[in-house]
Amino acid sequence: MSFTRMMDGNEAAAYGAMLSRAEVVPAYPITPQTELISRIATLISEGKMKAEYIKVEGEHTAMAAACGASAAGARVFTATASQGMAHMEEALWMPPGMRLPIVMCMVNRAMAPLGGLRPDHNDSLMQRDNGWIQLYCENSQEVLDTVIMAYKIAEDKDIYLPVAPCYDGYFVSATAMPTTIPDQAEVDEFLPPYKHEMYSLLPWDYRRPARSTNAAKSRYEVQQAHDRAKDVIEEVDKEYGTRFGRSYDGLLEEYACDDVDAVLMTMGSMTGTVRDKIDEMQAEDNRIGLIKLRGFRPFPSEELRELAKKYQAIAVVDRNNSYGSAGGGVVSMEVARALYTLDDKPLLLNFHVGLSGSDVTMRQVGYMAEKTLEAVSKGKVDEVVDWVELHDLGEVL
Amino acid sequence: MTENLFDEYYEKSLMQGGTTCCPGCGGPLFWRMALQALGPKTVIYGDGPCAMCAIRNIKLPHFNLHFSFVADASSGMAAAYRAKGIEGLTLVSSAGDGATGDISFGKVSAAAERNENMLQICVDNEAYMNTGIQKSGLTPFGAWTTTTPLGKEALKKEIPLIIAQHNVPYVATVSVAYPRDLVAKIKKAKDIEGFKYIHTVMPCPTGWRFNPAKSVEVVRLGVETWTWPLYEIEGGVLKLNVKPKQKPIEDYLKTQNRFRHMTEDQIKYVQDNINAKRERLLENDGKRVIL
Amino acid sequence: MASVVRAFRPVVEQEKCIQCGNCQTYCPEGTVMLENGETVVFDYRYCQGCGVCANECPVDAIEMVREVAA
Ligand code: SF4
Ligand code: SF4
Ligand code: SF4
Repeated sequence: MSFTRMMDGNEAAAYGAMLSRAEVVPAYPITPQTELISRIATLISEGKMKAEYIKVEGEHTAMAAACGASAAGARVFTATASQGMAHMEEALWMPPGMRLPIVMCMVNRAMAPLGGLRPDHNDSLMQRDNGWIQLYCENSQEVLDTVIMAYKIAEDKDIYLPVAPCYDGYFVSATAMPTTIPDQAEVDEFLPPYKHEMYSLLPWDYRRPARSTNAAKSRYEVQQAHDRAKDVIEEVDKEYGTRFGRSYDGLLEEYACDDVDAVLMTMGSMTGTVRDKIDEMQAEDNRIGLIKLRGFRPFPSEELRELAKKYQAIAVVDRNNSYGSAGGGVVSMEVARALYTLDDKPLLLNFHVGLSGSDVTMRQVGYMAEKTLEAVSKGKVDEVVDWVELHDLGEVL
Repeated sequence: MTENLFDEYYEKSLMQGGTTCCPGCGGPLFWRMALQALGPKTVIYGDGPCAMCAIRNIKLPHFNLHFSFVADASSGMAAAYRAKGIEGLTLVSSAGDGATGDISFGKVSAAAERNENMLQICVDNEAYMNTGIQKSGLTPFGAWTTTTPLGKEALKKEIPLIIAQHNVPYVATVSVAYPRDLVAKIKKAKDIEGFKYIHTVMPCPTGWRFNPAKSVEVVRLGVETWTWPLYEIEGGVLKLNVKPKQKPIEDYLKTQNRFRHMTEDQIKYVQDNINAKRERLLENDGKRVIL
Repeated sequence: MASVVRAFRPVVEQEKCIQCGNCQTYCPEGTVMLENGETVVFDYRYCQGCGVCANECPVDAIEMVREVAA
């Protein structure tokens, strides 16, 4: 039987891993992921979850052990954040190239030295090139559902790629909200036991994927898997919706976008605040909506191009920055590339906000929305990249 | 005719002839001996010696990430086998000296602490050979490498003794010059549950600068000069497996051009060190050495 | 497998051989053996010509002979 109770993002992720019947969990603690892995340790010690927990001595080993376990036939779950993710970097390149369907929560937290314990997205966005699928979640319920879906996507034999459900530390990881925990039998029906067609590391049954001598070809195969993943993510999301009554519009969600001139585009926990502000502003006849970007890898370029035709301006809200970049945050640069081939391009604005985990306030969202609508009415953008937190917007709401 | 005979032999020995190692490399020799003891129900993780020149020829399941990943993916494999209830396998986890003693030292230590069920092997050719002979923490004092053009300034790290202090069930040193000892130790390690550590010296004509024909002779001298004592530490108790009559260290050093530039003082320093270590080993032979 | 370029090849003088097996034990490549425990044979497809067998032979029954270009 499914049931609903208050649960924070970390506990939801732990339940997701348990319901997915993860068999090996190599993990190393780091704030704000710690509660997640200690919860798993508790679930195992209580006999509720049957998994081998490897208490490794660092993240580099956590991911390496994950690769070994995945290739040797076990379903693997792990999680990390921030400095730990950076420490893991070398290992993070292995599963995509080796086609190992590991699921790892990236619990976002700003990087040192200019960050603290609170989130921004620079840690996971730094991993954008290494082949992991990245799905950004807004709240505990989405985290739980996404972990389960992540296995279905990762283990699809046309994909075989690792998947990272990403969620903001603190705002999602430690914020309790009512969360529905699906029934184990129904999850079992949705997610069959793990069986990797390419791998078996047994003397009496040995298989490993053949690698092309043409390195570009092997890399292109990973690229193709990402291309296919766009459809698979949509399909899995739909199937999940049918079975469990919740779905998330695949790679991106349009919120309140009927009849608007412009949209703000967000990722992660700030989306909730933006939803509220958009509702408020639309009630006052402001023609602005919201696009929540859920899938950053693979990036939904085609879908975005289709949507973009409807709007006169898109304002990307980047909870990250890229020093010395071509202009603005990481997401805005992706969006710019995706829209470049359109004949009739919308105006593109970029806001940096919520850096190093500062709150994204209603007032800031209002400011960004107003700037965006102002650009629409002027027909041009004055400030392409705007560091919102440098402005004094008066009292913080 | 002869070719068929050899093909059958390679099949049985679990190692294909024709490696890409340099002539006289101790790597393939070590593995051929080790495989005699390991047998076909073995899975190998890792690399060593350089560029997997020997491991690539082994006819067993193999998994590998990269040079800096030691005892880690194999910990995951061990967990997967446990989770899947797979038994009767020997999981070997292999790496060279630089990986074991330097960059992944913490990983080996942690796997020992967790008492992972694997046989960790350090294939020690005493420098980073694959990158072209650079000093590692296991390069001996005085040895020339491209990063120690005047000879290494510090002594070699005593990895097997350090691992032993983790209280693991079995630690042993071996040499290809003593095949019976080598095979017996690997056979013993294979049947022990938990973390086993075997440290083998691996003659490298290219990096040590000697005629490849002398490969076995050089490491035999290593044992005879007590540069490379053969011992095992089982359940915390030290046992010296061979106690040869000690030859002077010059006999060993002069076989390799990597030591050619060493001064008399330096040679004396090495000899003094060996003498002291030999004494301590003999003193503790048969005793518990885990504190 | 690797194609072997070799400066010298091992050749046995069977009459000298005392069948001790050292050559087989210590060959890094596994390319020498005692057929039926008697005759020393080499696998010249893979033999690297390192000379370890000759060096380890207690009675100098193996000689390293320079390869001549075919
Ligand atoms: S460099 Fe040394 S270790 Fe590497 S293949 Fe050559 S002899 Fe063997
Ligand atoms: S020369 Fe070297 S490779 Fe050839 S048979 Fe003798 S020991 Fe083996
Ligand atoms: S080492 Fe020499 S004596 Fe011994 S078997 Fe080989 S050829 Fe014969």
